[in-house]
Amino acid sequence: MAFAVSVGGRRVECAADQTLLDACLRAGVWMPNSCNQGTCGTCKLTVLSGEVDHGASPLDTLTEEERGAGLALACQARPVADVTVGGAPEGRTTHPLRDLTATVLEVSDIARDTRRVLLGLAEPLAFEAGQYVELVVPGSGARRQYSLANTADEDKVLELHVRRVPGGVATDGWLFAGLAAGDTVDATGPFGDFHLPPEAEDDGGPMALIGGGTGLAPLEGIARTALRRHPDRQVLLYHGVRGAADLYDLDRLGELGEEHPNFEFVPVLSDEPDPAYRGGFPTDAFVEDVGSARGWSGWLCGPPPMVEAGVKAFKRRRMAPRHIHREKFTPADAM
Amino acid sequence: MTTTERPDLAWLNDVTMTELERNPYRAYERLRAEAPLAYVPVLGSYVASTAEVCREVATSPDFEAVITPAGGRTFGHPAIIGVNGDIHADLRSMVEPALQPVEVDRWIDDLVRPIARRYLERFENDGQAELVAQYCEPVSVRSLGDLLGLQDVESDKLREWFAKLSRSFTNAAVDENGEFANPEGFAEGDQAKAEIRAIVDPLIDRWIEHPDDSAISHWLHDGMPPGQTRDREYIYPTIYVYLLGAMQEPGHGMASTLVGLFSRPEQLEEVVDDPALIPRAISEGLRWTSPIWSATARISTKPVTIAGVDLPEGTPVMLSYGSANHDTGQYEAPSTYDLHRPPLPHLAFGAGNHACAGIYFANHVMRIALEELFEAIPNLERDTREGVEFWGWGFRGPTSLHVTWEV
Repeated sequence: MAFAVSVGGRRVECAADQTLLDACLRAGVWMPNSCNQGTCGTCKLTVLSGEVDHGASPLDTLTEEERGAGLALACQARPVADVTVGGAPEGRTTHPLRDLTATVLEVSDIARDTRRVLLGLAEPLAFEAGQYVELVVPGSGARRQYSLANTADEDKVLELHVRRVPGGVATDGWLFAGLAAGDTVDATGPFGDFHLPPEAEDDGGPMALIGGGTGLAPLEGIARTALRRHPDRQVLLYHGVRGAADLYDLDRLGELGEEHPNFEFVPVLSDEPDPAYRGGFPTDAFVEDVGSARGWSGWLCGPPPMVEAGVKAFKRRRMAPRHIHREKFTPADAM
Repeated sequence: MTTTERPDLAWLNDVTMTELERNPYRAYERLRAEAPLAYVPVLGSYVASTAEVCREVATSPDFEAVITPAGGRTFGHPAIIGVNGDIHADLRSMVEPALQPVEVDRWIDDLVRPIARRYLERFENDGQAELVAQYCEPVSVRSLGDLLGLQDVESDKLREWFAKLSRSFTNAAVDENGEFANPEGFAEGDQAKAEIRAIVDPLIDRWIEHPDDSAISHWLHDGMPPGQTRDREYIYPTIYVYLLGAMQEPGHGMASTLVGLFSRPEQLEEVVDDPALIPRAISEGLRWTSPIWSATARISTKPVTIAGVDLPEGTPVMLSYGSANHDTGQYEAPSTYDLHRPPLPHLAFGAGNHACAGIYFANHVMRIALEELFEAIPNLERDTREGVEFWGWGFRGPTSLHVTWEV
């Protein structure tokens, strides 16, 4: 007789006479544990659904009150039904995921091989600045992810930045081919955890944002949201591209700097030097500009090597790793 | 003894304390392979060296706890690690309330995090540090010291005490007559105890009249009839247990975990980037270099046969948990630190009814200390101009850990 134990998205088979801890560890699923005899309490977890037999769990380690609240000792508890276990619930809500039908309002070329696409929604979409949506590529069934450049109150017109991928199904085959105002687009969103903390938890600390190519999109929404919350906070936004022809939104970001004296937009060109702009990589520019990033938060969106270099640059300047945020999906133009 | 078909263990006659303290792994690897339960002359005792035999002896109904001779000489009687029956039950009931997870969760963060921050602030902008003396040991002793009620005893004094008690406790070598080979080795432990008494006696005087929420005050009063307290002579040996092991070992655990992570730079980076991995990193650190390497023992209560060896009643067996945690029957390449090895239980906190009472507390002290360290100095690197030397047979950890970072 065996039951299924679900933990953190993994399912593990657990025999009726086997402890949850044993089953998990044997399946390579880590959970904290030490004494394995019910006395230390290290392996305490929450039974979210299903039922366990507490076995020899001592009352000292697992009180009646805790049993009533659904806690169990993984090293003692055996399943009597399929169970789902977890640590403390996060207690944070997310915006519900929705299927959307949008209308293309505008398609414009804003830089070399780069387009801005504006999508109109019939109903507003609840999201956080920095999140992304998935577009369904017509005819192919393929789905592509694009970050929103919007702030959360710009909830009826979604702004996407798209970089052409030669031969790409979504770009050469669609967004850079026949797409025109008036077209209908199927999409799903919002996705992702790349966004600011809730306003009540945002202390207005300094921020460094580094975007590569169209990785600039979510950073625009995040920077504008951050500055609206705390107009005087220090915000450095680096945009890394190959050459000046790849730059866009210079006016918009320049205006943001006029409204917020502690905001700075720094374009950095890696391959095609231009006396008007800094050369090299944006992550190196950050290291040159900022002596200590203690107390800062960091935001990275772009090709994986740039994101990796960004994490190293931030840590080198001693930014606390839990304040380093990175967009985990790989932008379509990153390859 | 049925030793006829056993391998020739004459090599054990040449094993010295100095060798074991420098590197016990070589001798114990051979013991695990040739004789998982063997009499080791320099220790004057049987030794269990594999995971299976350590666990069997530690949890067997035919054994009970006994303190090692050098440990008993250092702590006196009744130390919680060496007593049984009602006295053990009473001492466990005395120390355990403050160490229960529900209780520890209530204050551990407020206790340890400010202490860790305070020590970090002293050096975080220096670009270099020696973490054992400047961070691991101070955070460990200050956290437990404040819990016990020893707020007024300097961290450096607490560090000095555990070091002296530790060397005395592990002054285990005996001569051919079974007498201590280095009796003068107990002098510094005696001196430390005299100093401890001089400082703690007045505190106990005060706690008897004015109980507070410190752990030692609770030890005096909890479970006693109104107007009575436990006799101080009865609790001092257990105070010494705390002032040695509980003070020293979280520091050892942190430092060993750090050295292990420095040996795997990509794993260090993973842990720095994701602090949720810290408990796992610590667990592997304690397996890799177990702080309480060989400091506890059991004694048979009737004739028994263990690992093919017949032991008469009253035979002490030392439990070498540091060796058991390198058992190739349990762990592949056990001398390698590997955050991602299959997370099987280890024996660093012992087993049976004498398993460490402070597991939960110690794990959280180490966790919070490493969280704060990596938060403040995410660009930490080992200073490769300095070596790392581990020392100890009874208790083991790095003697120093030099690090650098860009400021």
